[in-house]
Amino acid sequence: MTKFLLAAGVAALAVSAPALAGPGGGHGGGHGGDQHAQNAGEHGGGGDKHGGGMKQEMRAEHGRMAMRENADHGRMKGDRVRMASRHDGGRSASRMNDVVRMRDLANDGDRRGYQSGYGLDRRSLGLVDGCPPGLAAKHNGCLPPGQAKKLVGVALPSAYARSMLSGPYSNWYRDDQRYQYRMGDDYIYRVDRSNNLVNALIPYVSRDYGYYPVGQMYPSDFNYYNVPNQYQSYYPDGGQYDYRYGNNAIYSLDPKTQAIQSIVALLAGDLGVGQQLPQNYGVYNVPLQYRDRYADSATDMYRYNDGYIYRADPTSRLITAVISALG
Amino acid sequence: MKFRTQFAAATAVTLLLVSACGKPADKAATPTETAAKAAGGDTIASGLGDATKFSAAAKAVGLDATLGGPGPYTVLVPTDAAFGKLPAGAVDTLMKPDSRARLTGILSYHILPGTMLAADIAKAIDGGGGKAEIATMGGGNLTATKDGDKIVFTDAAGTKATVTAADEKRSNGVVHMVDSVLMPARK
Repeated sequence: MTKFLLAAGVAALAVSAPALAGPGGGHGGGHGGDQHAQNAGEHGGGGDKHGGGMKQEMRAEHGRMAMRENADHGRMKGDRVRMASRHDGGRSASRMNDVVRMRDLANDGDRRGYQSGYGLDRRSLGLVDGCPPGLAAKHNGCLPPGQAKKLVGVALPSAYARSMLSGPYSNWYRDDQRYQYRMGDDYIYRVDRSNNLVNALIPYVSRDYGYYPVGQMYPSDFNYYNVPNQYQSYYPDGGQYDYRYGNNAIYSLDPKTQAIQSIVALLAGDLGVGQQLPQNYGVYNVPLQYRDRYADSATDMYRYNDGYIYRADPTSRLITAVISALG
Repeated sequence: MKFRTQFAAATAVTLLLVSACGKPADKAATPTETAAKAAGGDTIASGLGDATKFSAAAKAVGLDATLGGPGPYTVLVPTDAAFGKLPAGAVDTLMKPDSRARLTGILSYHILPGTMLAADIAKAIDGGGGKAEIATMGGGNLTATKDGDKIVFTDAAGTKATVTAADEKRSNGVVHMVDSVLMPARK
């Protein structure tokens, strides 16, 4: 298997070259499910995971990112994997021969170590104890939903401007021509590029919350089309039901009443490039149709989560690549 | 085409059953045609067969749409006899509307991410010194061990569920029948 390292600048140029550019990052993130799972971008991530009471240590990555292109196209031909440069926030991405550019963090010497919570180190954003000055940290983040909701319709706080999505969110929500996504205080903020105002609030995964039961009204604070990218083609609005993500699932809603009718998909939010594979993902779980290409070996291990297959290093358990497994 | 006909019929029925006050229909929302196509024609939801109590519970909380969707998931399906081992009245209580959140948590504790065949689980058990922790979609972990050739799952309270029929492959995942209902820790 031929592998080589790309300096970040070279990688950025490569992925943004017109000849290699993907379909413009899609048009999703908004309405109608016009963005397809094939647009999977990837970013490093870090997070404090609640699942199973198991705190997972995850890594953020900044600045110079050593990237490796896995040139073993034959092994992965037919799949769609995207690699995007993180530092421009522009999600410049490319697709090469239906695949296959993977970020490899195993040799990234510029990572800043562990942190808690998906996203950048909050202190690096000028925050105090993980929260903006003057705000005490709450169990579920710095801002209660009511306060966070007040950010909708106003300019994104400067503290979040560089807070790129990480962990699983970097695949679930990607910047496109219409929207940018930033994160902080346990929320993802969708920013309308036309006026730079926050126009939607999306909650982080929290395995502590439990699912919304059917019959309950979907929370108005988050009632925007917010289905993660990989599921948008399956669950667009405008049909018999509306679809919303929240509390670790995608729900169908009655379009008139906004009452939850069913749970159409469960999401774990457990894995992301740049984090370590959790101990509770020791069982090989790759969908059957992908097993011939993504089998565990002495050099690679693969695990499925929320529409993606993740590649991890068996020794370090560091997740180094993501592969779309839907559509 | 038969599936599409059924889909359309089910959709019409669902529309009729959705009340104006926003209460869920008796029959959960069917997936979109795109999702149904991705799920395939032999889904977990359609193949629950004799597991009538699990099937009814899944429908009651709208999870039949998940089990009929693209997945893939690994589902540990308790047999009807397994539900019968619960304390008297427990199932009836869980099936009440007020218990939907709790029942959703219990059922999702039986749903695992991706496709885990019995051999995959056994391999992880062997590689883990006799046990493997497995994340569930309900948020908690299950512990898998082996009892002879059979796989046993243990929940947060120590209840054990033995796989009685493994590797029922579906178009959107795999089902393992188990002989006990597993309970997640109370949140």
